[in-house]
Amino acid sequence: MTTSIEGAPAGLVVADEQAAAVHFLVDEELYPLPAIYGAAYVFIDRCYVFLDRPEPARVRVVLTAKSGAAAPEALRALIGEFANELLSCAFRHQIAQDNRVLIETATMQALAGAMGQPSLDDLAKFDFRDQGFDDPLGIAMSWEEKHGRKSPKPESEGAP
Amino acid sequence: MSDVHELRFSRQLYSGEAVDQAVKAFARFAAFDLEQTEDHWVVRMRPSDPNLARRLRGELGNHALGLTVQRGGAK
Repeated sequence: MTTSIEGAPAGLVVADEQAAAVHFLVDEELYPLPAIYGAAYVFIDRCYVFLDRPEPARVRVVLTAKSGAAAPEALRALIGEFANELLSCAFRHQIAQDNRVLIETATMQALAGAMGQPSLDDLAKFDFRDQGFDDPLGIAMSWEEKHGRKSPKPESEGAP
Repeated sequence: MSDVHELRFSRQLYSGEAVDQAVKAFARFAAFDLEQTEDHWVVRMRPSDPNLARRLRGELGNHALGLTVQRGGAK
């Protein structure tokens, strides 16, 4: 027999006291799959965790007490702690996504620095024609190039 | 003779190699039969000790999930 859990969204969390299990329907748009994996992995040593996908973009998480018996309060605590862990994992996943470019850049620079100075052969092979960056505002131009007096244009023949 | 218990692991959530590896890890506690459908890895098990069935189901599921997470997901 299944019952809803007090304080949990109706229809998303269902307790099965006979099986000592609680079912939690997670929306993947709110909690990405890596976050669901992360939270589930944390709970593996505390209970039996089973994942299923009853419909697209939804993951059903089933947490079952290892002892085989659990009071309603224990199930409520279990799903509450899982929800907290899920939120934490989702937030950490978002931070990792936001900082991925920064982390990769720092790692690349660290690895490049560890490789040491380029050799003469490396310099000889370097393609200097490759433009390092675009400079549409002329920031990298010298003052003379940008503001210096322009040389007079040669007068064309036959001009009045 | 003990009952047959069926576990259906979603192919979108569980790695097939992880499920195989989990089944191998518990092979001495039950007889297993594996099948794959379009959406699921289906594991049918007949525990050597019927009293262990519930625990075996749970531990097998945890093992398959743990290995899947360690592999970085189902794909």
